[in-house]
Amino acid sequence: MKSSSRKTMWTVAALSAAVMMVAGACGSGDSGGAAEGGKTTLTFAYWGSDARQKLTEEVIKKFEEKNPTIDVEGDFSNWDSYYEKLATKVAANDAPDVMSIEIRGLSEYAGRGALADLTGKVPSADLDQQVLASGQVEGKQYAIPTGVNAFSMIANPSALEKAKKELPDDSSWTWDQWADLAKEISAGGGGVTGAEYNHNPGWLQIYAAQRGEKFYDGTKIGMSVDTLKSWWAIQTKLIETKASPSAAKSVEIGATGPEQSLLGTNAGAMGMWWSNQLNALSKSSGQEMTLLRMPKIEGATTGGMFLQPAMFYTASAKSEHAAEAAKLIDFLVNDPDAAAILLSDRGLPTNAKVLTAVKDKLPAVDQKTLAFIEEVKSELSPIQVPPKGALEMEDILKRNSEEVMFGRATPDEAAQKFLTEANAAIAG
Amino acid sequence: MSESISVPQERAPVTARVPAQPPGRRRRHPQVNVHRRREALTAYVFLAPWFIGLLVITVGPILASLYLSFTDYSLLEEAKWVGLGNYTEMFFADTRFLTSLKVTTIYVVVSVPMQLAFALGLALALDRGLRGLPFYRSIYYLPSLLGGSVAIAILWRKIFGTDGLVNGLLAMIGIEGTGWVSDPDTALGTLILLHVWTFGAPMVIFLAGLRQIPQSYYEAASVDGASRLRQFRSITLPLLTPIIFFNLVLEVIKSFQSFTQSFIVSGGGGGPVDSTLFYTLYLYLKGFKSYEMGYAAAMAWVLLLIIAGLTGVNFLASKYWVFYGDTK
Amino acid sequence: MATRSKRAPLLFRPLPRGSRLLKHLLLIGFGLIMLYPLLWMISSSLKPEELIFREPGLWPSAVTLENYTEGWTALKHSFGYYLWNSAVITGLSIVANLVACSLAAYAFARLNFPLKKLWFAIMLGSIMLPHHVTVVPQYIVFAELDWINTIWPLVVPKFLATDAFFIFLMVQFIRTLPRELDEAAAIDGAGYWRVFGQIILPLCMPALATTGIFTFIWTWNDFFSQNLYLTNSDNLTVAVALRQFLDSSGESSWGPMFAMSIVSLGPIFGFFLAGQKYLIRGVATTGLK
Repeated sequence: MKSSSRKTMWTVAALSAAVMMVAGACGSGDSGGAAEGGKTTLTFAYWGSDARQKLTEEVIKKFEEKNPTIDVEGDFSNWDSYYEKLATKVAANDAPDVMSIEIRGLSEYAGRGALADLTGKVPSADLDQQVLASGQVEGKQYAIPTGVNAFSMIANPSALEKAKKELPDDSSWTWDQWADLAKEISAGGGGVTGAEYNHNPGWLQIYAAQRGEKFYDGTKIGMSVDTLKSWWAIQTKLIETKASPSAAKSVEIGATGPEQSLLGTNAGAMGMWWSNQLNALSKSSGQEMTLLRMPKIEGATTGGMFLQPAMFYTASAKSEHAAEAAKLIDFLVNDPDAAAILLSDRGLPTNAKVLTAVKDKLPAVDQKTLAFIEEVKSELSPIQVPPKGALEMEDILKRNSEEVMFGRATPDEAAQKFLTEANAAIAG
Repeated sequence: MSESISVPQERAPVTARVPAQPPGRRRRHPQVNVHRRREALTAYVFLAPWFIGLLVITVGPILASLYLSFTDYSLLEEAKWVGLGNYTEMFFADTRFLTSLKVTTIYVVVSVPMQLAFALGLALALDRGLRGLPFYRSIYYLPSLLGGSVAIAILWRKIFGTDGLVNGLLAMIGIEGTGWVSDPDTALGTLILLHVWTFGAPMVIFLAGLRQIPQSYYEAASVDGASRLRQFRSITLPLLTPIIFFNLVLEVIKSFQSFTQSFIVSGGGGGPVDSTLFYTLYLYLKGFKSYEMGYAAAMAWVLLLIIAGLTGVNFLASKYWVFYGDTK
Repeated sequence: MATRSKRAPLLFRPLPRGSRLLKHLLLIGFGLIMLYPLLWMISSSLKPEELIFREPGLWPSAVTLENYTEGWTALKHSFGYYLWNSAVITGLSIVANLVACSLAAYAFARLNFPLKKLWFAIMLGSIMLPHHVTVVPQYIVFAELDWINTIWPLVVPKFLATDAFFIFLMVQFIRTLPRELDEAAAIDGAGYWRVFGQIILPLCMPALATTGIFTFIWTWNDFFSQNLYLTNSDNLTVAVALRQFLDSSGESSWGPMFAMSIVSLGPIFGFFLAGQKYLIRGVATTGLK
């Protein structure tokens, strides 16, 4: 290359860099959320899929219409990196004004002083009081719940039909009956497995409640070694009788979401999921699904099922626009216009009035969910707010369950280990 | 490194700007001093962007992380000093930490040599002598593009899962395979394979390195009647050693810090029974999921010391096998 | 294949026909194995979404382009918008790395200055610390500068040669060049800058090409930093946008995600194909004279 063409190359490079810098600067718009011309700007953080992002942007626009002095900037992230991003921002004193959070993060963030006390700031008279209580920590309302969920058994009626089994009576069935049913379905051939492995703490919580034990007892785990052992015994029996897939396969599936589960791919008959995942399961399998109550231990006095808000809205303790943040939260949970746009995207609305207003607009699947929840409502246990450190609970449970499943540890050892680790996690 | 093949060298009479100096002499010729200062000054100008970047963007956060390693920092609250608490906990009370060290070490020791071997082999195969080489190179590079993508988890499960391709092929010859990805005994193996599969990056660097070797050397060698193998052993390999060294050093550094694949394939955890709990993955979980960022920082510094130590060893050993063109 | 006037050295002559064919077959066969995951992804992107996981096979039972059309329009902006954002950031990063890292590399490889070994060790050391622990302090730095939600935290560090990987790469490449070249140029009266610009850089074409290609790919795929610093949904890039198709807490759109992943692979692949021209133009072909 001759030196003149070399020079041209460098000049071109420098020029293009300059051009792109200008383009980049123009494209990035204004930074900083300070007030401009009398308007306040709020940041609103939330997670989800692209469907949720579109709906949220619509809702934001509606809010801005009703509140011309407030601008809202959505800070959207996918679920896996949501808390990481949120924690970084809080650490850097750059927390979003309104933050979505779910129940495990609640104690973490409230307990460490990152959230503002919303008692009295957000009108909550019309919200379901029982669910509202789940957003309180030490008597202060740190979070406003939205969307109620129940951890339930979901079954595929047509799969059951194919195996010539009937839908069980879910108000009285026991774990043994469920396990037997699953075994027979798997044995019936047709490529359908009766049940799926699940290490969701929700299941354990229900099981423990049936034995009269609480998952969290203050800042300790309220469950006994025996409860854990018999819970694991159910799972190992399922694997042994081929009622659920082998240990390795179960772990494989467990690392994915509803679309890749047995139920979601038409390869399974029953599984345990949150009620608001009914939609995803129905869609990916193309089949209609039914919600059922969880089986009970023989002789248990309570069903153990509980309601849990899908998520909460909170405000940052260090927000400079506390009043506006409260307004946004109020709009999201109490305003029928917001609900008309969001529908059940964030779970079923917690405001009874709003719920009645949008009931008919909900898609069929959600109506089913709603009907189910209303049916079981009276039997539900009160909600437990997990203490700090609960975010690790699923991992700790998963790991120790795997040790049992793969025969790496006896149920005794694993139960002891689980209790030690779990207690350590929530004590700190 | 003995060179038995003569290399045509053009030695123009080198009137050095700098009078020759026996090394180690304290008193230097004044002209030398001026020259040295000019050279140093020029060096600083060349290094200016890097210096600025170092101070503003790199050094500050690094020192901050060192400080944090002596604290209990939950990200949401102020950091509290705990002295060596994190370090003692790591080595004496945390079995998961030791597991992560073990897992990561096995990973590095096995996958780095394998990956580099493939990269070098393919680079040699795709260097010259065949039609359509740019096309082949791109094909072999593609996997590295997917290596960090979120789709890779699904793809890997499709191949190594209980109903995956590998088991399908094994079934054809009558072997029943397990769930390679979720069996604690083999999960790490699938990640090692994933790492080897993404050999495209070192391969490209090897390709570039091969092109740096002057053709004249080969010409002279064939004039001397050397065979292909001989040429490879005496020209290609020695002159490629700086690049081999580079790839080795950096692959070791990178593999010790391997995070994305393990994170994605295991769905955000450490794999079945922690069998794929990579060091940086555990670090991340401690920092962002358990809200113990101080502990994570301590882990980071321990890792840095380990890597620095290994790199130092690498550099010391390089004197024995790396041949640079700029040494006289 | 260009025929040379004199007989090419043994290593460079095309192989005899038979072994050439064998080599082709081996390369293609091995290549297919290597590409299986990619082929599966392409096939999935052409399947209707519900079938992707129900049918584990490679051949789609039903072919549709709906994943591509849906993926293109699914997010707030058309996917091309995110491609452009990624292109801007990536383009700037490439220029930045090429300039800043080559400057620093020249100093480390060819010049002498006090504490050179120490600085070199620090340069290497900066690669050795996992970024997860520096992310929070760095975020604070950028928050103080009010650069959050702009592209500056992603691009400016590159102009300041923070990608030490490339500095080290170029140092190794420059060190393969004999010092006689510098000295010969010095005799002709060239100063350090001319030696750098007219001797060293041209001979480092493969290293520069490698730097360019890798910067492109790593920046294009850099999810972590882009997700952290670009919060406004108008500023998103390809890496972040792709993840938005998935939501492990709810519904994921695998089909559109695969489709858009394939689409975003296009520019990288093209860049790599084009960049090979520079990659192979090494000392071997330009000659030392």
